[in-house]
Amino acid sequence: MFFEIIDVFISGLINGSVYSLMAVGLTLVYGVTKAFNFAYGSFYVLGGYFAWLLLVRYGVPGGYLTVIVTAVPFFFVIGFLSEKILIAPLRRYGDWEMKVMMLTLGLSLFMDYSFQSVFGPRVKSIPSFTEDIFEFGDFVILHQDIAIFTVSICCMLGLRWVLNNTRIGMAVMATAQNPVGAQIVGIPKDFIYAATFAISTILAGMGGILLCQKNLINPMGGSDIMIKAWVITAFGGMGSIRGSLYAAFILGMLEAFVGWYFGMMYVQIATLTLLLVTLAVRPKGLLGRE
Amino acid sequence: MLDITDLNAYYGESHALKNVRMRVPKGEVVIIVGPNGHGKSTLLKSICGLVDKVQGQVAWNGEDITHLGTAKIVNMGITYIAENRELFPYMSVRDNLKLGAYSRRAKANEKKNEEWVAELFPKLVERRNQLSSTMSGGEAKMLAIARGLMSDADLLCIDEPALGLQPSYRTDIFRIIQEISKQGKTVLLVEQNIPQLFEMADRLYIMDEGCLSFKGGKEDALSDDQLKEILFGM
Amino acid sequence: MSLKRMIAILGAFYLVMGVLPIFTGSADHLNILTMILIWAVVASCWDVIMGFAGILSFGQVAFYVIGAYASAILSVSHGISPLVSIPLAGCITGVFGIIVGLPCLKLAGHYVALVTFALHMVLVPFLRGPLGRAIGSGGAQGILTVPPIELFGYAFNADTLVPFFYLTLVLTIIFTLVLVAVIKSHWGQAFLVIKDSEQFASSLGVCSYKYKLMVFALTSFITGFFGALYAHYVGMLSTKMLSMDVFTLLMIMMVVGGIGKYPGVVIAAAITVTINQLLAPLGMYRPQIMGAIVILLVLTLRGGIVGIFEKFLSSRPEGGISLGR
Repeated sequence: MFFEIIDVFISGLINGSVYSLMAVGLTLVYGVTKAFNFAYGSFYVLGGYFAWLLLVRYGVPGGYLTVIVTAVPFFFVIGFLSEKILIAPLRRYGDWEMKVMMLTLGLSLFMDYSFQSVFGPRVKSIPSFTEDIFEFGDFVILHQDIAIFTVSICCMLGLRWVLNNTRIGMAVMATAQNPVGAQIVGIPKDFIYAATFAISTILAGMGGILLCQKNLINPMGGSDIMIKAWVITAFGGMGSIRGSLYAAFILGMLEAFVGWYFGMMYVQIATLTLLLVTLAVRPKGLLGRE
Repeated sequence: MLDITDLNAYYGESHALKNVRMRVPKGEVVIIVGPNGHGKSTLLKSICGLVDKVQGQVAWNGEDITHLGTAKIVNMGITYIAENRELFPYMSVRDNLKLGAYSRRAKANEKKNEEWVAELFPKLVERRNQLSSTMSGGEAKMLAIARGLMSDADLLCIDEPALGLQPSYRTDIFRIIQEISKQGKTVLLVEQNIPQLFEMADRLYIMDEGCLSFKGGKEDALSDDQLKEILFGM
Repeated sequence: MSLKRMIAILGAFYLVMGVLPIFTGSADHLNILTMILIWAVVASCWDVIMGFAGILSFGQVAFYVIGAYASAILSVSHGISPLVSIPLAGCITGVFGIIVGLPCLKLAGHYVALVTFALHMVLVPFLRGPLGRAIGSGGAQGILTVPPIELFGYAFNADTLVPFFYLTLVLTIIFTLVLVAVIKSHWGQAFLVIKDSEQFASSLGVCSYKYKLMVFALTSFITGFFGALYAHYVGMLSTKMLSMDVFTLLMIMMVVGGIGKYPGVVIAAAITVTINQLLAPLGMYRPQIMGAIVILLVLTLRGGIVGIFEKFLSSRPEGGISLGR
């Protein structure tokens, strides 16, 4: 029993770390551009296929190191272009928020079914970072779990560093806090919007690369993960990065424990209940501002 | 030199600026006065590319900047200091100032401007780690001006710096504008609460229902009836 | 749009719809016509919520499915006549609307979108899971034997397409009039103003919340009602109704019709259902193409078809303003 609880705790921790990566990407885009990206989950799945293509189909040398190093520019470009071509043109009109939601929903449908027709409807698996394990008597920790946890925490710290210390990162934060002020000091708004979207796409792709090792790649799996990221974002307070971090770990744990104790069927219901209760008490989420 | 010809600006259905013509020669202090909501701010914003619907021409040193977009305009040496400050609330004073020097142009002279700003606003140096949202109205206004100066602009469009501040701040603002002008910078100012400023002004304009009229230099202007009425309620 | 023009367009549309079955005996065609009527009302409800009340709700399909399942379960598991179960299902959906709306409508736009969409996503595991099976959802298999509506011993079902079509037409017209009344009511018009001015909206405060909740409950009721009607029409239900392509279909109607341009969605429903039917031979590529269509339509069709008409008809020019950046 005790070991089981520790096991569940660890899986909650691992899930939480990857969710935080996903949710922070989503909340960043919302905080900066006020756009809501429904296709976010599809970029996560694209991350899975990206890893599968490189590792399984083409067997690139260098394994995961190559995947992660190439994923960053790849997803940056994909995200940047998506924003420029699909979302930026809508921004000129009054009801663009609604339209962005609709467009990205269409995009996610398009991407999901494209995955299905290109890669087939069956789930695919990608190899783990490593098959090694730690053993302490009955108690087992996979090295893979540690690696996933470490990589996602490193991504988060990297993102934090970028946002607080680099010129472009500070420009992103400035735009989130005051778009008019950002314009006044000469920050090119359109570029920042696209760059933020691109950064969030990188995070989604990374999430896919990391979590698909455990959860398999399902062409239709995007919406599920998107809802999770979204719930975390709203739970933590949209636009609040720290809020998303806390929320990701809380929901990761909730999911692990509810799934273990009551069964996976109840995870989504428990999540939604928690969200509704939180929003009833704090309409802006845990750490939402304004 | 800033040269504006037949500038029109619109907010939705309303026609905020009507065929505005104006010249702001290099190194001068130009003041615009007029009733509230008659387009003074809109004019400053239009110059800096912050109004979406504009028609006509704004030329800066002979180059048309009307539709360039704010980022490029800032990089060409024009900055807008907003009446409602537009600071970054969850950033420290230091980060706000650092972002003030965001443009490439400002980056080149960041050290020099930093020293100048520190000299003009010693209080901001003391409070460099404070979040800007926790500052009082007057201090935040000073920070907004300081941030504007960090952009290394040649032309500063300052929108009602003294509005809503205690009278004690007025002398500060007067002193700062004097200093800015002494550096050879051009100042386009919307402000009518600081009488001393009119002594400095090279030109005065009145904005009335979106129409701008030139009232000459300070000598001619101060004898103008319309101006007197606006300034002194006579 | 003026009430006169709105009624004229709707009247002409439903008149044409009412006459069409005379010219065709094909079961396929009648099925399409019936589905147009049902979707027209569901899409109208969405437009009232989103376009007029300004609530970013993504729970429209969820409410539709709740209505369908509620009526099916009531009639299959509890032996209630569809004549009673359909309005009852509408009421149940309305109550769901209030439960979701109560905490939700006070929230900012994106949160509403989230909660309503999450409701949609939660329905699938719920209906397929043990909880759903316990109340009679039939789990993954769904409900295969939903009884048809019976009136004086006469059964309206998939075999009697023409009578069912006219039954639907009558109901459609009744509820369309209700929706027109909502849009043209004092508050419906006020909402159009609110959408443009956040400040005005907040000054209306609590009142607007109460009204939003009422509109939300009413449209949930109507959507659930038509979901129930659909259930007794097709005779079987499964969680496939919650798949994204159904959702997207409804969304295409909104984009084509133009958000907040009311009778637009009704006409768009006819266009969309027909085109969707034409795309059927594409099989598994259909959702993909529909996704692409949504992207293209959102990018190109700004005010929907009504917007296009208005551009041609309107005599007042946009004004000779050059658009800066």
